[in-house]
Amino acid sequence: MMDTRKDAQQRGFCNASAVIGRRCAALLWAALLAVLVPAPLLAADVAPAQASYPPVLAGKALSFPHDLGAHPDYRTEWWYITGWLHDAAGEERGFQLTFFRVRTLIGEDNPSRFAPSQLILAHAAVADPATGRLRHAERAARAYPELAEAATGTTQVGVGGWSLRTDGGAPDSDRAPYRTHIDAQDFAFDLVFEPGRAPLLNGREGFSQKAPDPINASYYYSRPQLRTAGTLRLDGERFAVKGHAWLDHEWSSEILPAAASGWDWIGINLHDGGSLMLFQMRDAEGRAMWAAGTLGDKAGKARKFAADEVRFEPLRHWTSPRTGVRYPVEWRLHLADGRTLQLRPLLDDQELDSRSSTGAVYWEGAVRLFEAQADGGEREIGQGYLEMTGYAERLNM
Amino acid sequence: MDCHFLLLPPMLTAHALRKTLPGTPPRVLFDTLELQVGAGECVAIVGESGSGKSTLLNCLAGLEPVDGGRIEVGGQRIEGLDEDAMARLRRSAYGFVFQAFHILPHLSLVQNVALPLWLLRTDDKEAEARARTMLTRVGLGTRADDPPHELSGGEMQRVAIARALVHRPRLVLADEPTGNLDPVRASDVLDLLLEQIRDSEAAGVLVTHSRVAARRADRVLELGVQGLVDITERA
Amino acid sequence: MSATLHRLFLASLLRRRLATALSLFAIALGVALGLAVQLIHSAAIDEFGRGMRLIAGEADLQLVGARDGFDEAIYPVLAARAEVAEASPVLVIQARLPGREDALEIHGVDLFRLARVQPMLLPRAAAAADAADTRFAALQPDNIFLSDEARAHLSESQQLESGEFAAPALRGGELVLQSGVRSFALRVAGEVPAASASLAVMDIAGAQQHFDRIGVLSRIDLKLAAGVSAQMARQSLATLLPPGLSLRVPEAAASELSTLSRAYRVNLTMLAAIALLTGGFLVFSTQLLSVVRRRREFALLRALGMERRQLLRGLLAEGAAVGLAGGLLGVALGHGLAAAAFKFVGGDLGAGFFRGTQPQLQFDAMLVVGYLLLGIAAGVIGTWLPAREASRVAPARALKAGEGEYAGLPQVRGGWRPGVGLLVIAGLACILPPLNDIPIGGYGAVALTLAAAVLLLPTIARGVLPVLRRGRALSWRLAHARLSATPGQAVVAGAGVVASVALAAAMAIMVSSFRVSVDDWLAQVLPADLYVRASVSSGSGYLDGDALARIAAVPGVATVDTTRQVNLRISDEEPLFTVLARPVRGNWGLPLIAGSSERPARVNAADAAGEIDADLPPAWISEATADRRQIGVGDRLTLPLGGQLRHFIVAGIWRDYARQHGAALIESADYVALTGDQRINDAAISLAPGSDAATVAAALRADFGAEHLSIALPGEIRALSLQIFDRTFLITYLMEAVTVMIGLFGIATTFAALATTREGEFGMLRHLGFTRADIGRLIAIEGALTASLGVIAGLLAGAAIAWILIEIVNRQSFHWSMDLAVPWGALALFASSLIVLAALVARLAGARAMQRSAALAVKADW
Repeated sequence: MMDTRKDAQQRGFCNASAVIGRRCAALLWAALLAVLVPAPLLAADVAPAQASYPPVLAGKALSFPHDLGAHPDYRTEWWYITGWLHDAAGEERGFQLTFFRVRTLIGEDNPSRFAPSQLILAHAAVADPATGRLRHAERAARAYPELAEAATGTTQVGVGGWSLRTDGGAPDSDRAPYRTHIDAQDFAFDLVFEPGRAPLLNGREGFSQKAPDPINASYYYSRPQLRTAGTLRLDGERFAVKGHAWLDHEWSSEILPAAASGWDWIGINLHDGGSLMLFQMRDAEGRAMWAAGTLGDKAGKARKFAADEVRFEPLRHWTSPRTGVRYPVEWRLHLADGRTLQLRPLLDDQELDSRSSTGAVYWEGAVRLFEAQADGGEREIGQGYLEMTGYAERLNM
Repeated sequence: MDCHFLLLPPMLTAHALRKTLPGTPPRVLFDTLELQVGAGECVAIVGESGSGKSTLLNCLAGLEPVDGGRIEVGGQRIEGLDEDAMARLRRSAYGFVFQAFHILPHLSLVQNVALPLWLLRTDDKEAEARARTMLTRVGLGTRADDPPHELSGGEMQRVAIARALVHRPRLVLADEPTGNLDPVRASDVLDLLLEQIRDSEAAGVLVTHSRVAARRADRVLELGVQGLVDITERA
Repeated sequence: MSATLHRLFLASLLRRRLATALSLFAIALGVALGLAVQLIHSAAIDEFGRGMRLIAGEADLQLVGARDGFDEAIYPVLAARAEVAEASPVLVIQARLPGREDALEIHGVDLFRLARVQPMLLPRAAAAADAADTRFAALQPDNIFLSDEARAHLSESQQLESGEFAAPALRGGELVLQSGVRSFALRVAGEVPAASASLAVMDIAGAQQHFDRIGVLSRIDLKLAAGVSAQMARQSLATLLPPGLSLRVPEAAASELSTLSRAYRVNLTMLAAIALLTGGFLVFSTQLLSVVRRRREFALLRALGMERRQLLRGLLAEGAAVGLAGGLLGVALGHGLAAAAFKFVGGDLGAGFFRGTQPQLQFDAMLVVGYLLLGIAAGVIGTWLPAREASRVAPARALKAGEGEYAGLPQVRGGWRPGVGLLVIAGLACILPPLNDIPIGGYGAVALTLAAAVLLLPTIARGVLPVLRRGRALSWRLAHARLSATPGQAVVAGAGVVASVALAAAMAIMVSSFRVSVDDWLAQVLPADLYVRASVSSGSGYLDGDALARIAAVPGVATVDTTRQVNLRISDEEPLFTVLARPVRGNWGLPLIAGSSERPARVNAADAAGEIDADLPPAWISEATADRRQIGVGDRLTLPLGGQLRHFIVAGIWRDYARQHGAALIESADYVALTGDQRINDAAISLAPGSDAATVAAALRADFGAEHLSIALPGEIRALSLQIFDRTFLITYLMEAVTVMIGLFGIATTFAALATTREGEFGMLRHLGFTRADIGRLIAIEGALTASLGVIAGLLAGAAIAWILIEIVNRQSFHWSMDLAVPWGALALFASSLIVLAALVARLAGARAMQRSAALAVKADW
């Protein structure tokens, strides 16, 4: 009896994340549902996408600034920013923020402003080596005018007082800066992000396939090398901070295959002004079932890696003292162009443990990227973020 | 001594009276007691404390049953009467004088005296007239409408005597009528009582342990287990 | 002292068991009634507060407005404020269950806002077979979640007033509900595990849609940002609020309710106090008589060296012992009464303030100690005068044999002055204004009138007894003579009767006046032939224009007039104000007591305030509104309607027994123009000549579905209203009965005690030829006469108190006037039965006097 139940919960957790999409807050949302709805029901969520979600098709050209805004017809959408900040004292910290939009297909005929046809969720975290762990917080709400919205035509998304929007003199330009306001209990930040270059399209002109079946795909562009400045508050202390960040904007209707158990993703701003995005999808046995990547140069020109051109190799594991989950916190990355890179975390403990609220457990943190040198040594070539999901439930098995 | 009463039939006759007090063995208070009192005659009964004087009086009043014998009042036998019939007989045929007077404080003197007449349903006016006459006879005519609480003990007992005789009873029973009075007043009251009994031609039975009082009666009888012994001469 | 105390004083209580038991019981009843009222009320408030806490959860402040809800426009404003950490909007629906007479309280909530503010309302989806639409189970508009209590309740069939049974509302996992005049089903998708009340939770959007409340909220629960106090937030947010909305701390709901029921509760407590007072009189009677009887005993004790103070203390200890024992018994009885009340009538004390709560009896040590002390106080105060009297007796005089057998009875001759003085003060007290809606002056006047009636008893006896002198029978004469001579005895024996008769007569007159007035009023307000409603005013059933058109189309319907009833929140002090939107004339009556159904010709200049008031729409206000706001015809009335302050000109004042907290009537057209609210609660139909109400009702039922409408003839509404009226007063009848019983105890104890002291008298009378039956008759007549005096005084006092209740207490507590209607027949019957009962009781209590041997009785000196 107990076993069945536990098993059902695990499957429910896993599958819910698979339905909704990629990153951490997808897990958060799944976890929120898991609190409210018992697992067996969620297990049924592997049902095929409903007809009313438009499919993600190759060949559709993305257009800016319109595609900076929301795409409410699609099932899931997110704006995801990660980055590194340093204060006047030179202290380095990582940060992350995500805004999600989910279309539920519920109440679309309901004139009530509370109709839950669109949900807006957000998640934010700060990795501070001084405290040795992540600070994180989340927000969730149904879309409601002024309180929780994801506007179309331009990036303007907010929930529970948190916001991310394009700002500055040229809102209609694709170079307009982004501004965010995040205010949680033990941290807060107000940051401005300057893109300085056009959006970098991932996959085939923004069509990013996620699995062997092309139905599992998203529209996906990145804004690497965002020049970042603003203020950061940790508990009561305020810092003026500067740094660099990375924005992903991705929308989809049927992003993940049922067989996927988790993924590993990186987004790195290279010191030479370029950018590197890589991800791999893992199956239930932990083997890569799909992978892809984009390597951009300073000018914004990109080299795409296909599924067979990227390989993730775990090097070192760290076991969380809180959850007992074991994460590969150091990786070796093998690229088709012959380069071999190494990822090392800013700190090991960047586990996101929200068992007390949404129940989600995963690892998402600031990392440095190193490249082996001809002299046998290695050199830091970039800084960015690593996300690893789907390790917690495997451990529980 | 005026002995005209001897010529008349007795008002009260007690024959072969027997009374025992319950207990093991039962105590015999008196047995084969004989008593006859004529109209206008006053008999004093004396005896030791506990000899049964009051009990005899209660038996004569029909308030206590006898264990044997016969009692006639004005020719009517009373031993067989039920309680209510006895009560009705007492209304017309009996008059009582108590040691503690028992004058009702909430009635005026004339009302107290008229009480037995009210019981006999005498016409109100007649009752009042007779009660006033009676009060005059006991020397309280001028105070007929006063409330009783201003009276002295002797005066209370005078009212009681008036009440006892107002309805011309055949038998007047008095239990220690002077017990609560000082000697001078006691003497006056006793004289009044005997005089009124004689005038009304009632039979009077007076229970007392005062020999002085007893001597005023026509006969003095001492109560013992063997019955009543005439000790008039000795007293 | 303690041994003496025990042997001489407390043991004396045991020797006169009957009298002690009766006074003890009287105190117990007074304590029990008062305590039960308190217990029931505080348990109901607790229960209500618990329910509120459940619903309010962790909220620091709640935004509340009209009962029908308010525009949700304020929600994003509040939610975005820095002071507010979380704002959780709630739409509460009193959902009508078609065909049933109960309703389901549905909380339409925003799941995402709930967790931080009202975690107790979080729903949990059940494992259902149909998985397709359970993905967002708590967001699906057709899903509803039930608490265990609600599920149990809804799964049962319900017995209707008509005696028929309505089917369970929850069948096959579907719950059938009514909105407007149509039914629809919601799927029961799970439970509300933390909610220990009968309620349901669903998504707020679904609730707005299904119940046609788009854009409407009932409440917004706020969790404040760290460091912001409720006080600060109320101040800073108050300016944002449209009229008619108010921010309050959640606890205020319970105190608001407490305020609403306060007048009624104080009324009941006053009744209990009178019961306790009557108990105190009883202690006074028995102690007085006991002291009289033991006069010589005390004289002897004094002569033997007991100090005056020791004697006093000993006697007071007797009283305290009776009071303590009575208090203990009363505390037990009070808890029993409260428990029984919860079991049989629920926690609302019969007045409907707390309908639907299921309170738990709680032990409150402070309350219990308080009532114990009251019991002891009644015992001690009742003993005080007799004890003082006894301790003052000169030993030598009392020891003298032959002193009057009732020396020591209070000498209350010629004392009409204090009584009349009290009456004058009572009259002055009536002029006092109420304090917090509590008519303290009125209650003071009631107490003073009672005291005056007791003090005037001898005066009344002197006035009445000569009239009764005519009697011929000896027993009558003796009884009459005795009472005439000792009016003190009448006071001692009759005081309890006076108090209880006064109370009962006053209540009877007041209730009768009230009932007759309500009956007249109902006849006036219900002039139509047929009344139709979809549910009570705050329920989910309502009529709309379409429904009205359908009603009008039914053959036999001549005209249809409508009523919209909404409950507004005027201010924190006036949480409940009713606005009725309906035609002033037509199928609804308006029992005007001032003004007319026309617009007033004269407008008060004082209210003009620069605006042209003559153009304002007219409003007719209830008496309560006129009283509370001190306004009259021609004055201006301001109401928060549709989120704005709207002004009206008062055209008339009408009598309203239905809404104690104030109401105003405005024309339907004005209401719709000001608010846009087209809903209708009730329709009044007048029939075309020759049509039959039953036929029209049947046609309406056939058209709308019998389960969707309540159709009533005015006669039925009247009967039901009067039935509710009678139920409301049931508890007061019970309390009166108890008080009358205590009054009879007074007769019993007095006569039991007198029978002993008067043994000599009765013995003498037996000697003189009284039969036992004669003695019994004498005592019975004395009892009857004593009671008659008490009854006469009581009736006089009762009439005065009735006047105070009608003109002062009701006016000030409930703000309604009524026409005096004296129930002569009932009062006569009551008075004569009480006199007969008193005769019986006296006869029974005096039985000992008849048992004793007459021969011994005349001998007894004491």
